[in-house]
Amino acid sequence: MEVYEWTDWARLNTEPGRAKDKPQALDGVTVLDLSYGSFAGLFASSLMAEMGARVIRVEPPEGDIARNMTPQAMKVKDTGLAYIVEGRNKHHITLDINIPKGREIFLKMLPKVQVLIETFPPRYMENLGLGWEVLRERNPSLIYCAINSWGQEGPAVDEGMGQGTLDYDVVAQALGGFAWTVGLPEDYTEFPEYTRVPTRMGNWMGWYMGGAMAAFSIMSALIFAEATGEGQFIDISPAEALATVNNYAFHVYYLTGLVIGRVANFEPAAYAYHYVQAKDGMVFLAGYADPNWKALCSIINRSDLVEKYPTVKDRTNPKNFIPMTQEIEKFTKRYTREEILKIWLDYRGPGVTVAGEVLKPLESMKLEHWHERKALMKIKDKDYGELLVQGITSKMSGTPPVLKWVCRPVGADNSLIYRELLGYDEEELNRLKAQGVV
Amino acid sequence: MLDAKALEIMAKREALKGIRVLDITRIIYGPWAANLLAVMGAEVIHVEIPGSGDLLIRAVSPGGVFPRGLSPGMMCCNSNKYYLAVDMHKEEGLKIIKELAARCDVIMENFKPGTFDRWGIGYRQLKEINPDIIYVSMQGFGNWGPYWTRPSYDAYAQGITGLAEITGFPDGLAVKAQTWIGDFLSGTLAAFYTLAALRHRNRMGEGQFIDLSQAEVLLRAMDWTWLYQSITGEGRERTGNWDPAVVPSTIAKTKDGFVAIGAFPKKEFQGLCQAMGRADLYEEFRDVEKRQKEYEKVYRPIDEWAAGKTTQEILALSREYSFAAAPVNNSETIHKNPHFNARKMVWKFLDPLWGDLAYPRPWHLSETPGRVRWSMRPVGFDNEHVMIRILGYTQGEVEELYEKGVLGKWDENFPATAPPKDWDGKKGLFY
Repeated sequence: MEVYEWTDWARLNTEPGRAKDKPQALDGVTVLDLSYGSFAGLFASSLMAEMGARVIRVEPPEGDIARNMTPQAMKVKDTGLAYIVEGRNKHHITLDINIPKGREIFLKMLPKVQVLIETFPPRYMENLGLGWEVLRERNPSLIYCAINSWGQEGPAVDEGMGQGTLDYDVVAQALGGFAWTVGLPEDYTEFPEYTRVPTRMGNWMGWYMGGAMAAFSIMSALIFAEATGEGQFIDISPAEALATVNNYAFHVYYLTGLVIGRVANFEPAAYAYHYVQAKDGMVFLAGYADPNWKALCSIINRSDLVEKYPTVKDRTNPKNFIPMTQEIEKFTKRYTREEILKIWLDYRGPGVTVAGEVLKPLESMKLEHWHERKALMKIKDKDYGELLVQGITSKMSGTPPVLKWVCRPVGADNSLIYRELLGYDEEELNRLKAQGVV
Repeated sequence: MLDAKALEIMAKREALKGIRVLDITRIIYGPWAANLLAVMGAEVIHVEIPGSGDLLIRAVSPGGVFPRGLSPGMMCCNSNKYYLAVDMHKEEGLKIIKELAARCDVIMENFKPGTFDRWGIGYRQLKEINPDIIYVSMQGFGNWGPYWTRPSYDAYAQGITGLAEITGFPDGLAVKAQTWIGDFLSGTLAAFYTLAALRHRNRMGEGQFIDLSQAEVLLRAMDWTWLYQSITGEGRERTGNWDPAVVPSTIAKTKDGFVAIGAFPKKEFQGLCQAMGRADLYEEFRDVEKRQKEYEKVYRPIDEWAAGKTTQEILALSREYSFAAAPVNNSETIHKNPHFNARKMVWKFLDPLWGDLAYPRPWHLSETPGRVRWSMRPVGFDNEHVMIRILGYTQGEVEELYEKGVLGKWDENFPATAPPKDWDGKKGLFY
């Protein structure tokens, strides 16, 4: 039986191309995703849709404003680039819950779903008469996940923060203390002043981290609901999600009063663990525990650095970051990123040290590894044509995630979903359309 | 220490009660995934090597300082766990791992791909012992594909994907997140996929093998990067704090600090322009597409305006004129923030071993809230609990394993591996 090497076995059993014959983990789960202008909600429901949940995207009749969030106003057909990525595997319907008839239809759908996701301002749903207390009456096992950076309750909400606006990624990155630790410190005076400030991640990290925390919380609630029959209300803040994963910053402040700030591409708690200059760009180097620092220094033939900076304490002294790095760069600047990688991979001595290339995203897109593993994949979509998008993240032997389609136009699944869920025929739908309900 | 609201949270039920997880992971990615299951009530057994424990994270602290003997690197992703120290290089150590795997629902590991298979405790072998086990392998590049042999760290994943290159200002440096986001985001997704697999097992009785690459998770989180590049053939460049897709949303410098501002829908943009006294800006850029194509012309006036106001003034204006704004917090302002405290996001409690501690708590679930009960523990601190109570070994057998060096405890020569200096030999023990 053991004819395969481990890596062959792993490939044979988790290759995304073989996923079609396998069951899906969230089979039988229906999710209503009412996200509006927030990729946190959209990412959470994408994760569930890839795992086989039937996700029904509920947009207002004019479409989710998130469809317009795109660089240089670029669209494929009617939709911006970011939304196309997160429209995956979802059925798209329209419904205006701001009018009574829309709310009536929404309440009728509710008993048929297990999960509800929304990203409105705190208490927005409550003010429409669709708060948790009302909804749980209709469906006691419902899991209702509200996502907003200010959360659903608390003094700031009482003061009106988050009211009347979208829930922005940049608010999560700022409010959660994440941006505070990203970027160039003030004393990097070789760079212009306006670049030495708290810096947002280039991607929408607040939305993605918030969405991931929401999906995890929903899954734990689903396991509880399937064991007990009880649903619950979940209040997820992308800002709090980012604050929770900001390494040790929260703990260090409580224990010592030290506020962790920006250190560019260094790491306040470990050295070497940072980017250095190579001949043709930057390279990541790691070797921070004593034996591993020795390994790094032996590769660059600098045992004097081991003597000069022997302990973790010496190396994590911020005053030493730049002098140590200048010494290491005397070596690394002589080689290209590829050459450095090879030197490090060829090291056979004691200790573990790692070198890795820092790439432009255009360079990264060419790496065969992502394409072979379908982390990036070309998909021919019925509505949006041939596109290269993020594909399948998790490889699973039993219930692998699947990318079925990338997106659907606004309201494209109205006929299908309203018929399946509520038995509406075309005539009824046309009437609702004329009234502006769908 | 616990007020009424904290007590209420502690008294609630736990979603993952009865789920047992064997957590043989190191550094952050794996430990965080298992930690998330532990805050939801799973019984997580964290396995380390005797003596140093997980040296690559216990020794991680800013300035190399270990307050009260705690390791900030270790404590942030290892709460609520039971600490077992067993030497897996010994045959008897592997036997203990197999016995635990037989009694667990989930096993998580992030050793080099194929290591556990070679040691006889990989998925292929463990599923013979426990057919419905869920085996989660958390790697830099996954268990197969051209790069499967490459080691990884979060900062490598941020580098090779291009995430660092799209972060920062065009005339500054490309910067990585200081946060080990490649570990934390991937660990959160690993916990999600584990629970999805658990649901499948609950219904169908089947376990499975999960392979999750941290680099691929970061690729996934890079929103419109790949579509943009494949359509235009051009690379995505850094734009500093100016978001080129959601215009405007930015972090701006104020008279006394920094503020985040967002105003994407027409109504919000109009509100912001009114607050700025710039009706003309609204007239010129009411059209979203124009804002996206000429975003510099929108952001410059916002930056100039913000520079003349205090953060509080802008926050007040945001409420008056209905655009979004938020302070740029740091760990101190988060700790002192009444909002986060009232929500018990700042979670203060009495640790059974270390005294008063605080953890962030973002899991507000009405029936099964997430909670931190205890922090990191010394190497091998719960050996007796695990070996005797869970596996049924006798005291004598356990002592024999200590003598053979199969089991072990902390070694004071390694940082942050031991109990507090004034430990009485009993405090904090569950056995």
